[in-house]
Amino acid sequence: MRLKVNGQEREAQEGTLLLDLVEVPTLCHHPHTETKGLCRLCLVEVGGRLVPACATEAQEGMEVRTDTEGLRALRRTLLEWLALATDLSQAPSLLELLEAHQGQPQRWGGLGLTRKEREPIRDNPFFLRDYAKCVNCRRCVDACGDGIMGVYALTLEDRGLLAHPTTPLDRPLPETPCVFCGNCIQVCPTGALRPLSMEV
Amino acid sequence: MRTTCPYCGVGCQVEPRLREGRIVEVRGAEIPPNHGALCVKGRFGLDFPFSKKRLLYPMVRESRQEPFRRVSWEEALDHAARKLLEVLQRKGPKALAVFPSAKTTNEEVYLAQKLARALLGTNHVDHCSRLCHSSSTAALSRSLGGASMTNPIEDIWKTDLFLVVGSNTTETHPVIGAMIKKRVRQGARLLVVDPRYTGMAEAATLWLRPRPGTDLFLFNAMARYILEEGLWDQEYVKERTEGFAEWQASLDPYTLEEAERLTGVEKEKIALAARLYATTERAGAYWAMGLTQHTKGTATVQALVNLALLTGKVGREGAGLNPLRGQNNVQGAGDMGGLPDVFPGYLKVSDVTARRRFEALWGVSLNPEPGLRMTEVFAAIPEVEALYLIGEDPVTSEPYQDHLKAKLEALPFLIVQDILENETTPFAHVVLPAASFLEKDGTFTNTDRRVQRVRKILDPPGEARPDWWITRELGKRLAQALGRPWTLHPGPEAIWEEIRRAVPEMMGGITYRRLEEQGVRWPCPQEDHPGEAVLFRQRFNTPSGKARFIPVHFTPPAETPSEEYPLVLSTGRVLYHWHGGTLSRNSRLQEAYPELKVEVNPKDAQRLGIGDGEPIQVVSRRGRIRARAWVTDRTPEGVVYAPFHFAEAPANRLTQDALDPISRIPEYKVAAVRLEKLD
Ligand code: SF4
Ligand code: SF4
Ligand code: SF4
Ligand code: FES
Repeated sequence: MRLKVNGQEREAQEGTLLLDLVEVPTLCHHPHTETKGLCRLCLVEVGGRLVPACATEAQEGMEVRTDTEGLRALRRTLLEWLALATDLSQAPSLLELLEAHQGQPQRWGGLGLTRKEREPIRDNPFFLRDYAKCVNCRRCVDACGDGIMGVYALTLEDRGLLAHPTTPLDRPLPETPCVFCGNCIQVCPTGALRPLSMEV
Repeated sequence: MRTTCPYCGVGCQVEPRLREGRIVEVRGAEIPPNHGALCVKGRFGLDFPFSKKRLLYPMVRESRQEPFRRVSWEEALDHAARKLLEVLQRKGPKALAVFPSAKTTNEEVYLAQKLARALLGTNHVDHCSRLCHSSSTAALSRSLGGASMTNPIEDIWKTDLFLVVGSNTTETHPVIGAMIKKRVRQGARLLVVDPRYTGMAEAATLWLRPRPGTDLFLFNAMARYILEEGLWDQEYVKERTEGFAEWQASLDPYTLEEAERLTGVEKEKIALAARLYATTERAGAYWAMGLTQHTKGTATVQALVNLALLTGKVGREGAGLNPLRGQNNVQGAGDMGGLPDVFPGYLKVSDVTARRRFEALWGVSLNPEPGLRMTEVFAAIPEVEALYLIGEDPVTSEPYQDHLKAKLEALPFLIVQDILENETTPFAHVVLPAASFLEKDGTFTNTDRRVQRVRKILDPPGEARPDWWITRELGKRLAQALGRPWTLHPGPEAIWEEIRRAVPEMMGGITYRRLEEQGVRWPCPQEDHPGEAVLFRQRFNTPSGKARFIPVHFTPPAETPSEEYPLVLSTGRVLYHWHGGTLSRNSRLQEAYPELKVEVNPKDAQRLGIGDGEPIQVVSRRGRIRARAWVTDRTPEGVVYAPFHFAEAPANRLTQDALDPISRIPEYKVAAVRLEKLD
């Protein structure tokens, strides 16, 4: 099939994700966990509408724009809000992205209560859950659940700024079916989940 | 840097990240077989090389009464060589045995068996898979002419039905376990046959819970039912197999009614399982030690092989016969000839053509008589006078521990070459400190025949040296004294090049350069060959090219419960530990699972007045151990389950050394015991 990306003709196979055709930043998308469509960082414009490139399949005749004024402003704002709400100190790729987009989080003033105040949870011998650094991308939840393990020791609770991953009923991990495979750590893009061996 | 996980046979590719000589994080590599996934052992258990129990210096003593003396490598190797030669001159090659390990690299196993065969002239060569999958090896070789998984791990994504038998996959091969569960979420069916309610049973479409040690009866009954119902693959049986008629006649006694009575599984369930397995084209069988560790282990695997042949499952994508190999390099240790009856490539030592090949390669004449198997070697002490152990800890892994210890006491000369102090080191005369997997180069071959690189990321501590170096140096001394040739390979790659020349049909196309990116599966005869994924597509590896049905009959376990010992003990593993625990219990994993817990069914617990978490003793005819009771219906009534990782409470003090007549595997899965309360 044929479609247009930023005015240029492109060929694509049936079922191809827009993400495979365009260069846009991503955060929540992960091929193994099949997470997609949450962070909005990969938004592109299709016929005037905004759609996530990681969750939209290419279609015949589509006209896709990836770099409009509006999209740039949107990405910049999203990144700025992330930086305001979340401790990105262990997410170098996000910090780079913020810089590349000339993000200036300060221009929004303070946000009031943010995730940054959350205390790290240390409830097992292997890894830390430091949700001050969490961007709610859901990858860990999916890695533990349908995506890889089928263990379901993690869930996402609440919405919006309150949203956060946790265990069912907030139990300590050793009291859940967790098998400490660390696949959640592997897919976590921000260092919110990290091995204890990284401390000290 | 990328290397291969040293725990189980899945062979996950790991990327340990180091800072100041410590592992700070381990990532799964985004390549096969694991594509980024790991289990707790690979992720958090790789820090044993930093253990305080590392053996750092060569040590020697004249007798077990003396303390060890730290010596130079020169002195230790000279001493070891002199002692071996002395035994050789006095008693001949039959008095010497060499045990390489399924935890060392292919190159190291190859060199160790070469040392035994080409220099010492003995075929008493064996390794720890004797104790895990020798039954599978025996049954598969007899029927198909090959003893590995017939299908690759990737085939899991093409399988529509899994028959998982006697494998606690989510704990012992966790990454494969997770893959199977995911495929089941995508719609495949999962039939689980296991007395225990494992993670697999929990995910199963249909779970059959036979009494321990009765699977053979179940498989034969399934086969008989499939024949009766006409659900078998007649064309496949006619074209690709032999021995059918005789086998069919042998199934007569295995009715569903009898099967229900004997196995305790309702006959409707058996029939349903049989029907599903027979009528699903892409149906793969997976199994592990629940089948093999019995006095009829070989026969039980054979019954499963027969069932797969009857329904045409071998040589097809997404199906096959797939023994899940335990240690990281069990497959490789067998491939490299770490066995008493075969050279590398499974070429029989008794076969003159095979012998000529290796005589030409090694420039020596070779002993045509198959050697003793590991369990038999121990029994043959003190006739066997000298033992060269590489990375093996028989005191923990062999059955009937007290008996084994007495044997080692009586052994005149023992070399222990290992990375950590273990339960066997106190019996040694010479201790040779080896480098761990992080500290050397080489290859491991995983459960689906994938040869993968092991890479040196750290320097060994103290004076520890890689096993290949130690074996090479010991060989040099033996060769000089005996006037025999011995190649001084400069490193693992050079040894691998000799392996490629030794078994070109199997490894000829696999070079270190090709392995840079990712592993390659054997057989791979040429460099442009991609490596075989599914075995036996056209023909089997038997002389006729056909697979053989072999009749097998049910026999009860060697020891059945009695009034004094009313319960059945089954041994196995838990997620957090590995075999004798030598590695995992010297890593961070120890914190998650510090002590022995024995599973007891709530009904048995109630009858005996045992509460969850209470200290108890488990007693068999051979000994007793202390444990904590874990009251859970994971284990069926009448059965207690004990992991064998705990040296201070060794389950193998209780197990018996009754052996399978063909594979000589001990019956670890059934021993009669009683529980005693401790106050
Ligand atoms: S470590 Fe625990 S929470 Fe994380 S993916 Fe594995 S099972 Fe789930
Ligand atoms: S913990 Fe990590 S993976 Fe999980 S939601 Fe937060 S940022 Fe994403
Ligand atoms: S599944 Fe096996 S190979 Fe993979 S990380 Fe776990 S122990 Fe290592
Ligand atoms: S990457 Fe597409 S929405 Fe997050």
